[in-house]
Amino acid sequence: MTRYIIRRIISVIPTLIGVTFVIFMFQRLIPGDPAIAMLGEHATEDSINRIREQFGLNRPLFLDREALATGDLSGFFDSQYVNYMERLSHLDLGESIHRRIPVLETLKLRFPATVELSLLSMIIAILIGIPVGIISASRRNSLIDSVSMVGSLIGVSMPIFWLGLMEIMLLAVILKWLPAGGRLSTGFEINGITHLYLVDSLLNGDLAGFKDALSHIIMPAVALATIPMGIIARMTRSSMLDVLQEDYIRTARAKGLGGRLVLFRHALKNAALPVVTIIGLQAGTLLAGAVLTETIFSWPGIGRWVYDAILGRDYPIVQGGTLLIALIFVAVNLIVDILYALLDPRIRYK
Amino acid sequence: MTQINPEEFIVTDFAVREHRSLWGDAWRRLISSNTARLGMFVVILFISSATLSHFFWEYEPKKDLDYSLKLKAPNLTVTEEIPSIHPFGTDKLGRDIFRRVVHGGWNSLRVGIVAVGISLIFGGVIGLLTGFYETITMTTVERITLFGISGFLLGSLSAWIANQPLQLVGFTLLGLVAGYFEGFWAGQLKRVVFFSVLGILISAVPALFAGSSVALVCGVLGLLTGIFLALALDGRFFSNVMMRIMDMILSFPGYLLAIAIVAFLGPGLGKGMIAIGVVGIPVYARLTRSAVLSVVNKEYILAAQSVGESHGRIIFRHITPNILSPIIVQTTMGLANAILSAAALGFLGLGAIPPEPEWGAMLGDSYRYLTSGAWWAVLFPGLAIMLSVLGFNLLGDGLRDALDPKLRT
Repeated sequence: MTRYIIRRIISVIPTLIGVTFVIFMFQRLIPGDPAIAMLGEHATEDSINRIREQFGLNRPLFLDREALATGDLSGFFDSQYVNYMERLSHLDLGESIHRRIPVLETLKLRFPATVELSLLSMIIAILIGIPVGIISASRRNSLIDSVSMVGSLIGVSMPIFWLGLMEIMLLAVILKWLPAGGRLSTGFEINGITHLYLVDSLLNGDLAGFKDALSHIIMPAVALATIPMGIIARMTRSSMLDVLQEDYIRTARAKGLGGRLVLFRHALKNAALPVVTIIGLQAGTLLAGAVLTETIFSWPGIGRWVYDAILGRDYPIVQGGTLLIALIFVAVNLIVDILYALLDPRIRYK
Repeated sequence: MTQINPEEFIVTDFAVREHRSLWGDAWRRLISSNTARLGMFVVILFISSATLSHFFWEYEPKKDLDYSLKLKAPNLTVTEEIPSIHPFGTDKLGRDIFRRVVHGGWNSLRVGIVAVGISLIFGGVIGLLTGFYETITMTTVERITLFGISGFLLGSLSAWIANQPLQLVGFTLLGLVAGYFEGFWAGQLKRVVFFSVLGILISAVPALFAGSSVALVCGVLGLLTGIFLALALDGRFFSNVMMRIMDMILSFPGYLLAIAIVAFLGPGLGKGMIAIGVVGIPVYARLTRSAVLSVVNKEYILAAQSVGESHGRIIFRHITPNILSPIIVQTTMGLANAILSAAALGFLGLGAIPPEPEWGAMLGDSYRYLTSGAWWAVLFPGLAIMLSVLGFNLLGDGLRDALDPKLRT
C-alpha cells in the first residue's frame, strides 16, 4: 500500500511541472509585448526597458544559447522559465498589475469564500444525488426512475450561469426572499478561525449571522451543485444497477434478507467506488464553475476575482488563480486515487 | 404403401428472419426509445433552424439597432407603441431577441462542432496509434520512421543550442540507422556504448565551432540521445509517453483551461473553438485507445495480419469500424459539453465578438438588466443553450443504449 501511495505521489511530479509550464506559457500567449501590456500603449522606450529588466523579460524563455557560446554556463540557465519556477518555489506569484498588491495575499484572502461555496455545493450535490440514484436503481423503469433520470439529465445540461440568473430573477427580484449577491449583508461581520462564515458563525453562536450568511450562499451553492448533482445521480444509478445484478445480491435475497438491508448493506457498499471517483472528479467542475457562479452572485471568491482580472487584463492574477485551481484539482485527484486504493485492494496490484 | 408427399416435409423455417445489419438494428432500437426520439427531434430542430436561418434569413448584426424599441417585453400582436412582433422581446439595443437566438444557434453549434471535430481527429488518431502499436509489433519501415523522428526531435535541442543545423541531419541519420539495425548487438552494453559514442561525436564535434562549453553541453545531450536511441524503444514506450502527455492535459480542470487560454489569447469564436477542442483531445485519445485495446487481440485482427494486410489497412478497415460505437456516443455527449463550454466563454465575454449573435454572449450582454425586470432578454438565450445541450445529451444516452445493448442499464 505504501508503495502504491509513493508511486502515485511521484507520478504527480511531471504533472505539476506540466501545469506550471502551461501556466508559464500563458504569458507568451498575450499578443504583443508583455511589458507594453503592463504599462499601456503610451509607455516610453525607457520605462519599457526598465520593466523588462525588472521582470526579467529581457531574458530568453527557456535557455540562453548566446550566453553559453561565450562560455557562461550559469547564464545559460538564467531564463524566464527558470526564474518563474524559482519565484514559485518562494511562493511568489507576482503582483497585481493594477493594484500593485502581491497576488498571494489576495488569494489567501479570497480562498475561503470559494472553498465554502464549493464545499456546500458538493454537500448539496451528494445529499441529493446519491439518494436519487439509489431510488431510481431500486425502482428501475418506474415513473419515479424516468422522472429523476430526465431531471438529472437536465441538471447535467444546465448552463449554471443561466440557472443562477433565473434564481436571482425569481427569488431575489420577484419574490424578494433572498439577497441577489454578496457574501454578507452590510452591518454583519463574522470572524473566526476557519474563515468559512457558516462554520464560524455557528462556532461563535451567532445565529443571526449564520442566517444571513446562509441566505447569501444558498442560491450560488444550488446553482453550482446542479451539474455535479446530475452526474452523481446518474453514476449512482448505473453503478447500483450493475451491482444489483450480481450473484451475491441474489444470494442475499434468497437468504431472506430484507430489501432495504440488501440495498444498503450489500449493494450500496460495493457500488460506492465509482461514485467516489466521480465525486472527486467533480472538484474540477466545481472550481471552474466557481468562475461563472461567483461572477453572477458577486461572490468575493477566487472565481470572481479571476473574472475581473480577465476583463482588466491583469495577467498575474489570472495566472495565480488558475495555478491555484489547477493545483487543488491535482491534489484532489491524488487523494481520490489513494482513497480508491484503500477501498479497493485490486487497484493497488495493477 | 402410402405415397410420400415431399411437400409435407417442407418446414417453414421460423428461425430465419429477414437480414438485418448491425447498424439497422441499432437504428431500430434508437427510434424505439421515447427519450432518444425527443433528443433527435431537438437536435434536428436546432441544427436545421440554425442552418436555414444562416443561409436564407438575412441578418446583419452590425446594422441591427433601434433605440425606440429598447428592452420591450415579448408581444405577439402589433400595437400602436410597438409596430412589429417580437415573440421573445427586444434587448438593450432594441434588437429582436427571437431573431438573434435563431441566428445565434449558427455560432453556438458551429463552435461545438468544430471544437469536437478537433478533439475527435487528434484524440482519435492518437488513440488508434497508441492502442494499436502497444500490442502489435511495428514493421521495419515503421520502426525506422519512429526512430528517425525521435532522433530528429531529440537532436533539435542540441542543434538549437549549438546553432548547427548539421547536427539535426546527423541525429536523424543516427535514428534511422538505430532503427534499421535493430538486431545489431541487441540487448548488449556494446550497443549502448556504440550509439552513445556516435551521439557524442555528432553533437560535440560541430559544436566545437561555437565554443568549448557549448560542446560540453551538446556532448551530454548527444550522449543521452545516443543511449535513448540504442535502447529498443517500442510501441509500448511510445504509447506510454503519449498517454502521460494526455494525462497532463487532463489534470487541468476542463474549461478552466479553455477560459485561461482564451483569456490570454483575447476573445474570438475561432480561439474559443481551438481552446475547447484542445482541452477535449485527451478524452477521445483515452477512449479510442481503450476501445482499440479491447479489439486488437481478437481473432479477426490476427486473421487480417496472417493474410498479410498492411497495418494501415488493419487500422482503418478492421479496427475503426469495430470501435465506432463508444466514439459516436462520446462525440454526441461531447457536442453537448462543447456547446456548454462555448456558452460559458461567450458569457464571460471571451467568445463571439459583439454584435455577433451567440447565446452565451447574449446572456452576458443583458444579465445586468435583470434587476430592472427584463427577464426575457435572459430567459430565451439560456433556454436555447439548455435545450440544445439537453437534446444532444438525450440523443447520446439513446445512442449508447442502442449501440451497445450490453451497457443498457
